[in-house]
Amino acid sequence: MPRLRTVVAVAGAALLARRAMRRRIQASPLWPMPALDEPVSGRPRTRALRLLVTAHEKVADGVVRLRLEGHDLPRWEPGAHLDLVLPSGLVRQYSLCGDPEDTSSYTVATRLVEDGRGGSREVHEQVREGMELEVRGPRNRFPLVAAPAYVFVAGGIGITPVLPMLRALPEGTDWRLLYGGRTRASMPFLEEIEKLDAGQGRVSVVAEDEDGLPDLDTLFAEVPEGAAVYCCGPEGLMAAVEEWAPQVHLERFAPRSSTEGNGSFEVELRRSGRVLTVPADSSVLASVRAELPDTLYSCEQGFCGTCQQRVLEGEVDHRDELLTDAERDDSMLICVSRARGGRLVLDM
Amino acid sequence: MSNKQARVPLPVEDERTPLKARKVSFSWEDTPLHWVPGDPFTTHTINVLHLLLPAGERWFVHVYKQVLPYIRDERLREDVIGFIGQEAMHSQAHDEVLPHLKELGLDPTPYTAQVDWLFEKLLGDRTLPPGRARRWWLMERVALIAAIEHYTAFLGNWVLNAEELDRRGADPTMLDLLRWHGAEEVEHRSVAFELFLHVDGGYRRRVRTWATAFTALVFLWQRGARFFMENDPTLLDGKASFRAFYVRGRRGVLPSTGDMLRSIPRYLSRDYHPSQEGSTEQAVAYLASSPAAVAALAAEKGTK
Repeated sequence: MPRLRTVVAVAGAALLARRAMRRRIQASPLWPMPALDEPVSGRPRTRALRLLVTAHEKVADGVVRLRLEGHDLPRWEPGAHLDLVLPSGLVRQYSLCGDPEDTSSYTVATRLVEDGRGGSREVHEQVREGMELEVRGPRNRFPLVAAPAYVFVAGGIGITPVLPMLRALPEGTDWRLLYGGRTRASMPFLEEIEKLDAGQGRVSVVAEDEDGLPDLDTLFAEVPEGAAVYCCGPEGLMAAVEEWAPQVHLERFAPRSSTEGNGSFEVELRRSGRVLTVPADSSVLASVRAELPDTLYSCEQGFCGTCQQRVLEGEVDHRDELLTDAERDDSMLICVSRARGGRLVLDM
Repeated sequence: MSNKQARVPLPVEDERTPLKARKVSFSWEDTPLHWVPGDPFTTHTINVLHLLLPAGERWFVHVYKQVLPYIRDERLREDVIGFIGQEAMHSQAHDEVLPHLKELGLDPTPYTAQVDWLFEKLLGDRTLPPGRARRWWLMERVALIAAIEHYTAFLGNWVLNAEELDRRGADPTMLDLLRWHGAEEVEHRSVAFELFLHVDGGYRRRVRTWATAFTALVFLWQRGARFFMENDPTLLDGKASFRAFYVRGRRGVLPSTGDMLRSIPRYLSRDYHPSQEGSTEQAVAYLASSPAAVAALAAEKGTK
């Protein structure tokens, strides 16, 4: 009976194959599937943390330093900032100015901006020791690159991201710092900076009421070849430094121009050649959908990731909790995130 | 489609509910390694979900984003969008268990890296010419998802009713994750199948993709259970076996083998519709009392 013979042959072959497979799998348990070199599942994400405010102290005129305690906090690199979710729900970015190796606390410092958007006033007047604050991050948009020499220009509270950089530079590095402010009393961390300088004249402190405006000409006249230039401070100072050193690394602590945190801004959709205005009370997603009704979205709260789009130009104010830092570099969730500057260019 | 069925199965009565993603979060600090006390095999068999779902459900979302333009029914489109949001959240919620397992000394990365390969590369977009080939591969994957969703709904329905796990003192946070997920799977169980019927619906394709999905699930699941049992730092000679599975199925701490076998012909029946299985009412009732889902709802109200 040829049919029976076929059945017996197939069953026999299957049994042999099974035994061979079992041996093989026992020898190396993960055989026979290949694996991704960089696994996606189980990777750490930027997550919201709730930290306890354990210090709220005045360190200079109008400047308050906050110490936020937790445990097993993610490490950070000099230049990194935190997103602080204030009691009213406002989200503000503050540069970390403590010790990057400290995994039990984060330190930030903020200046009270009288005519600001309310964030600093809240930190100064409503945040108290013993309160819990939600923070996201840390993230770094202002990383310290390897260079033969460094020039730092800090204006006022712009010293905060620079301070951990100075501490992190190896002994003997060629660096100089121009630190400007309105009055000496209003400039935080002066003492520590002078200690870091160790009397080598690498720091020039310029207080406007005593010395007038900082002299960038002299500073840049003697910049060493190939030096990395870092600047953080008011808009005017950064624009001036940019003229001297177009390759400067900038960190803005206020949104460019007068754009409010929730203000309107412009979005260009490059592939479909459209430019739209996103009003203050509406999301990028809503405006885009008015033009491109097939745009994907789902949760509209920044956690499902369906509406992720590639960003070609412009700085994003990320308000989701999903994207990793690498993804944040070139994409955004358009349902919740907004522009930090006045304009964004999306690849859609 | 020439081989489309003449008879389209219809959903039972009113089992349809608007779908929305719930932004849940779980904290795993207090969950022990063997969260079903004294039963590592059951724990690890269910833990395989955390290995497969993060990559698998991310892949669902990826495929469904591409199929949206083929949908010509507004209601189905809305359902699919809701489905995408829910699946994305499931993927994340299970993903967050993985670092916890690692902290407990059971590093899942060797296995998840392979699952990632399976979904990102083997079942990914592949370099195909636009037109028929690309459409064929998309439809094949849509049909695969419909078959897999038959099993997620089966498991969701099972876990909602698995009272034996409560009796044995299983970790409440883990049970809430499983039941929240299970309830949403039951809630949206019709979407994947209706989408498949809408864009293709071929019976041969349904059978073929069921066979692939079933084989792959059995292969991956036994492999995952063996992986966990062999690498569990607290077990000297951890082994997974079919017998152990069968026995626990009879006890009610895992799905019973008989129920699993009986669900096969149901999916292959020409009259099958997912709404015949499980109960939306029970799922919605669980979601109304799930600690994680309730917290998600409260947080959403708070921010609006």
